[in-house]
Amino acid sequence: MKIKKPNIGIVLFLLIGVVPFAAAFIYALLYSFGVIGVANNGFTLQFWESVLASGTFFKSFGYSFIIAFVAVTSSVGGALWITLKFRKQLEKQFLSFIIYLPLAIPGIVTGFFTFQLFSKGGFFARISYKLGLITKASEFPDLVNDGLAFGIILSFITMIMPFFVLLFLNVYKNERVEELSVLAQSLGADANQITRKVFLPILIQKTWVLIVLYFIFLLGAYEVPLILGQESPQMLSVLIIQEIKQYDLDKISEGYVVAVLYTLIVSAAAIVLFLPKRKRVYAN
Amino acid sequence: MRINWQPFILSLAVLLILFPFVYLVFLSLASEWRFPDVWPSYLGFKNWVTVFGSEAGLLSSFFSSLLISLSVAVFSTTSGFLISKAVFYHPKKKTLTLLAYFPYILAPVVFAACLSFFFLKMGLFGNMTGVVVAQFIIAFPYALLFFSSFWNEKVKSYEDLVTTLGGNKWQTYTKVVLPLAKGLILICFFQTFLISWFEYGLTSIIGIGKVQTLTIKVFLFIKEANYYYGALSCCLLIFPPVVLLYFNKRYVFKKLV
Repeated sequence: MKIKKPNIGIVLFLLIGVVPFAAAFIYALLYSFGVIGVANNGFTLQFWESVLASGTFFKSFGYSFIIAFVAVTSSVGGALWITLKFRKQLEKQFLSFIIYLPLAIPGIVTGFFTFQLFSKGGFFARISYKLGLITKASEFPDLVNDGLAFGIILSFITMIMPFFVLLFLNVYKNERVEELSVLAQSLGADANQITRKVFLPILIQKTWVLIVLYFIFLLGAYEVPLILGQESPQMLSVLIIQEIKQYDLDKISEGYVVAVLYTLIVSAAAIVLFLPKRKRVYAN
Repeated sequence: MRINWQPFILSLAVLLILFPFVYLVFLSLASEWRFPDVWPSYLGFKNWVTVFGSEAGLLSSFFSSLLISLSVAVFSTTSGFLISKAVFYHPKKKTLTLLAYFPYILAPVVFAACLSFFFLKMGLFGNMTGVVVAQFIIAFPYALLFFSSFWNEKVKSYEDLVTTLGGNKWQTYTKVVLPLAKGLILICFFQTFLISWFEYGLTSIIGIGKVQTLTIKVFLFIKEANYYYGALSCCLLIFPPVVLLYFNKRYVFKKLV
């Protein structure tokens, strides 16, 4: 009886946690090689060749990578600065609740809201018109669905920076950074040294796994780029779904090629992130 | 004299945080708001009355979302808690944990696209059960990983102690394990509820537009350029989590750090 129970648990874990992922991956893999699929007639490398030759995947991956990187570094940098400068005030009753509010806003609402503010007929365009900065809507700069992904990056930052502020505030408290700073000060360190040698190393070291996880999440983000992205290049998830949902049957297989490549990259990242360490308390 | 900028920056931050909430409520009350007007020509409860008169199906979307999210939260928290015990006491727990990360970090929408064939075969495509099952598949690894640090030597010793004192499995759970895990279970429930409540991509693929949760409605209204109803759906989408956050804020980060 004692041996049997954990086994049921493991079997259930494999059934719910592993089998769907494996099935999805194998399905996408077989589709990408033309083994299955409506118009496919057996194994072929044609779809892989055409995806690799067209460079769509690499363009889209590079584009997603840069957007996610800019958003994560700005958010982490901003959150560190806020924690360093405003920690005491943020612990007060009123502010301590207010800073939790952004967590209640999902990606799709952030995308919608950013669109409402920054589109050519949006809130800021109206104000610019009132102030006489523009004379018609089309004169307002492209801030959504734009090439530089301004709208997407801004949305990502507003979505994840509050999370990092809260995270850093908690690490600050739990790792007793305050006491360590006082100790460093009594040993003769100045404010700058405390920031560089105590504050930053502890906060970054304790949270880097979550920082990387957030980067991976943004890499695969869907709703925000769907609302605020441009036609080309697109972020990875949007590209994959667009190809898979197409009427052109060849494109569906190509969509699965991109899905397989993306899954492989994310899986490799997971292995690098989580395998070598003995225990990862901070990433759940 | 040095100017103290802190109060200004903090006030600005508070305004920036509150602005989306205020703006969305404002937009949901507006209509006939055309460029370049800074103020809408109509401001009132017309949209809300229409919605609560159950036109546009927003109210039913709200309840569908609620039902789906509650189901996903209940199933994933319960199974995550019970199964995590087997996983984290297993000698190969490192490898098993790694396996749990794969579905969790893959974009849900891509995962759903690759799974949709199986859902179609099982008759779970385009219905609410299918959406609950699909969301459960991504919420489960989260819940499982969430409980990773709960199952430690201390809890194991307590369990052994109950057994030594003659307690059975049921008593171990009801008298020791569950009271110890109560706080964590609550947070996990809250988090998995939010994962489901905020989900769009996976729901749109598996629900194929037939299962209209609030996030699906928001997107539909954006596509129709009906921004007033869009804002109204956003309000319905963000205010329940605000209430939950109010009750849970002290617990939200307890597990992460």
